[in-house]
Amino acid sequence: MTKTAYRLAVALLLPFAAFANDNPDPAAVERGRKGFIASCGFCHGNDATGNRAPDLIRSPLVNRDASGNLIGPVIKNGRPEKEMPGFPALSGQQISDMVTFLHARINEALASNHVPSDYPVAKLLTGDAAQGKIFFNGTGGCAGCHSPAGDLKGIAGKYSAIDLQSRFLYPRRAQSTVTVKTKSGEQFEGKLLHIDEFDLEMTDQAGWHHSWPRNEVQYTVHDPLERHRELLRKYTDADMHNMFAYLETFK
Amino acid sequence: MKLATISLVLTVAAYSQGLDPAALVHPSSAIWPTYNGDYSGRRFSPLNQINESNISSLAVAWAFRTETVAVKSTPLMVNGVLYFTVPDHVWAIDARTGRQIWHYHYDSNGGDHIGNRGVGMYKDWLYFETPDCHLVSLNAKDGKQRWKVELGDVKLGYFSTMAPLVVGNHVIVGVSGDVTDVPGYLDSRDPETGALQWRWYSAPKPGDPGSETWPKNSDAITHGGGMTWMTGSYDPELNLVYWGTGNPNPVLAGEGRLGDNLYTCSIVALNADTGKLVWYFQPSPHDVHDWDAVQTPMLFDGEFRGQQRKMVAQASRNGYFFVLDRKTGQHLLTTPFVETNWAKGINSAGQPIRDTAKDPTPDGSLVSPGSNGSTNWLSPSFDPLTGMAYVSARRQWSVFYKTAEGKAEGWGGRDRGLYSEAVLEGIDYKTGEVKWKHEIGPGEGSGGIMTTAGKLLFSADTSGNLLALSPSTGETLWHINLGGRVPNSPMTYEVGGKQYLVFACGDTLYGFALTQGAH
Repeated sequence: MTKTAYRLAVALLLPFAAFANDNPDPAAVERGRKGFIASCGFCHGNDATGNRAPDLIRSPLVNRDASGNLIGPVIKNGRPEKEMPGFPALSGQQISDMVTFLHARINEALASNHVPSDYPVAKLLTGDAAQGKIFFNGTGGCAGCHSPAGDLKGIAGKYSAIDLQSRFLYPRRAQSTVTVKTKSGEQFEGKLLHIDEFDLEMTDQAGWHHSWPRNEVQYTVHDPLERHRELLRKYTDADMHNMFAYLETFK
Repeated sequence: MKLATISLVLTVAAYSQGLDPAALVHPSSAIWPTYNGDYSGRRFSPLNQINESNISSLAVAWAFRTETVAVKSTPLMVNGVLYFTVPDHVWAIDARTGRQIWHYHYDSNGGDHIGNRGVGMYKDWLYFETPDCHLVSLNAKDGKQRWKVELGDVKLGYFSTMAPLVVGNHVIVGVSGDVTDVPGYLDSRDPETGALQWRWYSAPKPGDPGSETWPKNSDAITHGGGMTWMTGSYDPELNLVYWGTGNPNPVLAGEGRLGDNLYTCSIVALNADTGKLVWYFQPSPHDVHDWDAVQTPMLFDGEFRGQQRKMVAQASRNGYFFVLDRKTGQHLLTTPFVETNWAKGINSAGQPIRDTAKDPTPDGSLVSPGSNGSTNWLSPSFDPLTGMAYVSARRQWSVFYKTAEGKAEGWGGRDRGLYSEAVLEGIDYKTGEVKWKHEIGPGEGSGGIMTTAGKLLFSADTSGNLLALSPSTGETLWHINLGGRVPNSPMTYEVGGKQYLVFACGDTLYGFALTQGAH
């Protein structure tokens, strides 16, 4: 086949392609995976991360490919100078699926800088729930504020496993309250809205806003997360995993 | 008739508005010609018109709205003009009035738009790095593009953010990108053409010194990362460029790259004319937490344990403060500047010893600090008047997960942040002792630090307040709520006999000066 004929053959593949796409057709990826394992896996590894032949996820050619324009000819022709055989018998659809699979593998690598919200609970469940319960009632001091039958009831069903692990360690949205006494002796109680080095702002129990220069009032902040912050310094990884195993029982 | 002749001469006179590269070696205190103000990376200004006795008279002199995104760059100020950037945009504005002179827009072909730190300047030309990893040269007079060259292939995951450093006739430019496993490098480019003068790779070639810190019979060393994404420092006497390098790749999954992984997470000294490595020091051997050692190397001279030395210090993202002899790379001091839980001590070379129990795991490992680090890109400062280094630090906790199965590619995992609180610190370089701490609130500080001969330290808290502190004690001398996060590091200059201070808040740049009659 001439070079021009190859280009034509590759061009004809294009209508089937759905490459460099963040949401490729899962069926095409699966077909491509099977095809890749059958034709390429022995040398490039079944997951395309390389074996006797290079890692294709790190391959400049694969990364620069758009819609099979670079990968297609290599699969068809091979690279004789590098001892890679060509696969002229593969159909346009088969090559298209393999290209979709390779781009999906690249996208998986790109997405590996996030822990997915459906991260498997089995990976997180390495602790001992009984030890977690002991920590909860003892060293952790958790029982002082929380109870399995009260606020924690059904907590494991409320959040994904990975969110539950983050949230028991540090629940972000907990409202601090504040009591303020002004110079003239007035007292205010309510929600703390803002505090920095210079200012204190709050909403009183009737819903009205107040603010003062911080150094002009006496105040006491009750921050329900203070104890969580103290615990971050104390947890061992075993404590963390045991606590997670215990909380995961609260379905 | 005589008058007419004079006026004719004045009309045709043309003044060069450029920057002589030789002037960068001894810059006038009135200008701010490089990212950190001068080559030393100290971000210390000798200006003292604004000082501890009149700081209460500081007021907004002008504001410039870019109507784009957060301004993370530090402007340059040369000949009465400020030059600054956001990704894909460069502005020249009048340094006295804050009014626009010109605006340049670059049409990026993709790339990460996370931020841009500013421009470099050589004679009449500006240099700007783009999200699609190109270097663009502009005419400083009118913002017209002169040329552009590719620094890295955006399709392979490269992008760029840093402010180029001009040294002699070298434009020194680094690259970013750790989402894919691509090699990091630092380029020196010709200021006239953009042609490559030298390239230094963050990982050695297989077989070269340092390659023994990577596994054999593996492609790890050729995919090792080590991005060069923050502007370095330069010592003209030694002709050495000091640069920090980023994390190795895959980022959180280290088992495919066992060894120290030189020269990632390192401070390197390179010959400015050849790019040859003269010495290195690695703050985080075999990093698995994304703790780039790119924080600005601060250069200063002084006494250390009875001996006069030329030194370089870094407050590193891993939570440790390092002082080295900058001529030889000899290690002088390592101390933690915030509490962390990832190291078991310090080895004889002065490097923290990684506790492998705190490596990322599938079920999570509770680590302090998180991947954003105990400090980061926000500029540190060194004040020669106090002998202290200043850092915007964080105490933070995060759970690190290794998610990769099989051969890891890219990150191979990530941390989930739990809690962070930020603090400004003054550190005695001779002992590493934290002399003062100034809490700046929950979260992470995003504004850098500048010190001045006016006995002032400028920075910002996490509530949108600009702060002026005493560099000696950390006590607050002045503040103003600008209404949003400060995303850049401050700078200062003098125009028409008046000292200005520049901060960004969100997408707006603010110039401050003393009110009339206060100086």
